[in-house]
Amino acid sequence: MARVADERQSLFSFFKDQLRPRGKLITPFNVISIPVIIAGVIILFFRFTQGLGATTNLSQQNPWGIWIGFDVVTGVAFAGGAYVLTFAVYVMRMDKFHPIIRATVLNGFLAYVFYAGALVFDLGRPWHVINPVIGNAFGYNSVLFLVAWHFMLYMTAEFVEFSPVITEWLGLKKARRVANSLTLAAVILGISLSTLHQSGLGALFLMAKPKIHPLWYSEFIPIFFFVSSIFAGISMVIFESTISHRVFKMQMGPGSHERLNEIIIGLARGATIAMFVYYFFKALIFIHDDQWALIKGFWGAWYLTEVLGFVLVPMVLFAYGSRHKAVGIIKIAAVLTLIGVLLNRLNISVIAFNWNVADKYIPHWMEIVVTLTVVFSEIWIFRWIVNRMPVMREPGALGSPNRKRELQSLN
Amino acid sequence: METYSYVNIFETKGLEYILLICFMVMMVLLFRYMRAGMRDKS
Repeated sequence: MARVADERQSLFSFFKDQLRPRGKLITPFNVISIPVIIAGVIILFFRFTQGLGATTNLSQQNPWGIWIGFDVVTGVAFAGGAYVLTFAVYVMRMDKFHPIIRATVLNGFLAYVFYAGALVFDLGRPWHVINPVIGNAFGYNSVLFLVAWHFMLYMTAEFVEFSPVITEWLGLKKARRVANSLTLAAVILGISLSTLHQSGLGALFLMAKPKIHPLWYSEFIPIFFFVSSIFAGISMVIFESTISHRVFKMQMGPGSHERLNEIIIGLARGATIAMFVYYFFKALIFIHDDQWALIKGFWGAWYLTEVLGFVLVPMVLFAYGSRHKAVGIIKIAAVLTLIGVLLNRLNISVIAFNWNVADKYIPHWMEIVVTLTVVFSEIWIFRWIVNRMPVMREPGALGSPNRKRELQSLN
Repeated sequence: METYSYVNIFETKGLEYILLICFMVMMVLLFRYMRAGMRDKS
């Protein structure tokens, strides 16, 4: 009885200790992000009490804005690195990518929680978000029904993939064994779900054929979304691991810099092949649909900027960088690719959407603040977890230092 | 009367076949290019 009380007390003091802020409070990131998050929370209060009209420029003509175009459609593509990397590590047994797998899965999980969660902001009647779960007008003919279920199941799968880290943090040996044994099943389920919902997001736009500029519309949008999520995810992993490596340098062991460079070169090879396949599809659709006449004018130039400047150029840079082990060039290619995917998703969902109407949608400043709030909040949570759980540290050591000391004092 | 021309590369989808062949050739070249980098490493 006394032991249970001691254990409870130890757990309480452990969590109290973990909640204490770590590191400096005044940093450039904190100075920028804290006011934005506060403003975003206030705007969201008005959005949920006054409705969409009070805080957005959305209308019946333009029902989807940047909350869908950036947060959901682009954010989910950027989170694609988790399924690509878990496939490479757990299915293809490419162990060299293992050191970054935990950070990638965490990033993917948080991206889904925050970006897919942002769907709620955009629903006119947000309480209906529960409908696909409780069976109140299932709407199983809708692509959104598939996307909703896939998001929920994928978030669960990613949580299971990440759960060994949580058990290590808490020092729970038996639970860790169980969590480890579930990982492979969760990975396989996660990959299957990803292939379908990444393309499912593209399928949402199939019904908007008259609204999307013909250079961006195709019956193959779902395939484009899926293939582009592969290199978008890989580029995000390169970008995120480069920044994490600097910010959390203290947590990494010796030789981590060389290991990261090798990983980045390997990722660049994968991105090159995925981009090459994407480029082929793009060219094939262009020729098949006989779109030569559309290339003239502003929209043609805008399309070529996206396809040549942000797909072909980074693809060549990735190939060159991986061939000559030029990590700096690969990082530039990753940033260009991220911009390219962002452009492509925004073109389909916002910029080239309703391209021929007079009442063109321009995001309200409050929509932009809320979008930044979502991004900054995700980074805050990511940082909080990485500073406490064994995400960047060498895997295997059970328990955080404090938790270990407490458990030892009980034994 | 409109006639169907078998030598028109657009109507016969010839351009798409050419693109496919180019893609496959370039894919092989791309793999060779990147494998050369891997060989240098070992």
